[in-house]
Amino acid sequence: MVAALVVSSRGWGKLRQILAAGKGAGASCAVLWRRGCSSQQEHVSHNEDLPIQMENPYKDPPKRCVLCGINVDYKNVQLLSQFVSPYTGRIYGRHITGLCGKKQKEISKAIKRAHVIGFMPVVYKDPTFLNDPKICDIRHPE
Amino acid sequence: PEMAAALKRTIEALMERGAVVRNLENLGERSLPYKISKHNQDHRRGGYFLVDFDGPPTIISTLMDHLGRDVDVIRPTFIKHPVSKTEECSGIIPVNYEDKLYTKKK
Repeated sequence: MVAALVVSSRGWGKLRQILAAGKGAGASCAVLWRRGCSSQQEHVSHNEDLPIQMENPYKDPPKRCVLCGINVDYKNVQLLSQFVSPYTGRIYGRHITGLCGKKQKEISKAIKRAHVIGFMPVVYKDPTFLNDPKICDIRHPE
Repeated sequence: PEMAAALKRTIEALMERGAVVRNLENLGERSLPYKISKHNQDHRRGGYFLVDFDGPPTIISTLMDHLGRDVDVIRPTFIKHPVSKTEECSGIIPVNYEDKLYTKKK
């Protein structure tokens, strides 16, 4: 225990000496380093180790909606009926269908056109298209 | 039969007013989605025909009158020729809603 204390005191003294020496040296070094930096700044800006500015190469391709390549027509009633409620015949909103802005607008316009022309029923969904695969994210209340 | 005669009449009316008929498509005969009553008659079945034509826009109103008076035509409709261009459809671009909705004080 006593020996350990002696060692620690000696160690502290030595540490202080080293620190003082280091500070002195460090000050001189800092002065020298600053001078060096001022002359070297022009070289640093053209250093080849700095990262090159480029677009993120690991970016995912942008998410595509269900209709992203498909042409929307007022004539294919089956496609249009998939975005319409089977009970009331109302058009589903964007948060349910999950379509792009453009496509949602196109679909709603086509559906309304089909209503007027007499292609698609207004107040219900055509029963022949009731068993189509589900695209929309509807949750009926139980 | 009667439908052919009605079609002939409409196309002749188009040609008279100086329209060039490009194409005529038959979209089939099916039961209408809802009962349409026209000229004091109720219709439940009908034949759908699509006529592509080029013509001056001034004839549209006259044609609507003409077809409205025709007993065999249930619902006349005029639509612009669809110009389809879906090749530019990029995916859903994520929108920064915070910037869009909240106006930041300068």
